[in-house]
Amino acid sequence: MAEPDTTTDAAEVVYSGALRRIQRCMGILAVALPIVAWFSFGGRTAIGLACGCLVALFNFVWLKRGVEALADRVVGAGKAQSGKGIVARFLLRYVLMGLAAYGILTVSPASLYGLLAGLFLPVAAIACEAAYEVYVALARGL
Amino acid sequence: MRKLSYVFMILSALCLAVPAFAQAGQASTVNWVAITSGFAMAIASAVCGMAQAKATAAAAEGLARNPSARPGIQLALILGLALIESLALYTLVIIFAKVK
Repeated sequence: MAEPDTTTDAAEVVYSGALRRIQRCMGILAVALPIVAWFSFGGRTAIGLACGCLVALFNFVWLKRGVEALADRVVGAGKAQSGKGIVARFLLRYVLMGLAAYGILTVSPASLYGLLAGLFLPVAAIACEAAYEVYVALARGL
Repeated sequence: MRKLSYVFMILSALCLAVPAFAQAGQASTVNWVAITSGFAMAIASAVCGMAQAKATAAAAEGLARNPSARPGIQLALILGLALIESLALYTLVIIFAKVK
């Protein structure tokens, strides 16, 4: 009788939690980075960075919800949502980002660089997740 | 083939035209950085849009063919879309850094 492949199961367990870990990492970075920026670059940059992180966080959550709704619609599972609603929510993210950038730019141009840096929060979180997965793969031999 | 030769002819004509523009006596007042930044943002947005459309279409097709592979496809799609969006943001950052 063949033994169950425990390595594949363990790998699936690690990879299935990737999205949750990325969101958690984004939350931690959204708090930590503005604090570091406050002491390093000043208050305005830190506020801009915090706004950018917040927008990126909402953007990522809405992106996730949009993709989930799309998958529900394709598979035919879950509550049926209108295609127009999914597309409208998808586009609403860009409106939010544009409004935040415009607001920051009109209030304080100095914090614009902080806002732009904050928008890269998902990239930083994905990089952290990639590093974590490399570590897990090397440490556990997955 | 004929179309390709026309493209190369136009490109070579443009290459020859560049030194001719450079020989103008007066300094140009046109803000080329702003103009090229607009084009760069437009090209980046268009290519990112096409990439997102292609990724979404491929994911939807994969989901329709194999619904049991949903978690993996969904994760890959979310990460892919986030990273593609960040490429347009890179262009925006470069534009803000260059255009004052």
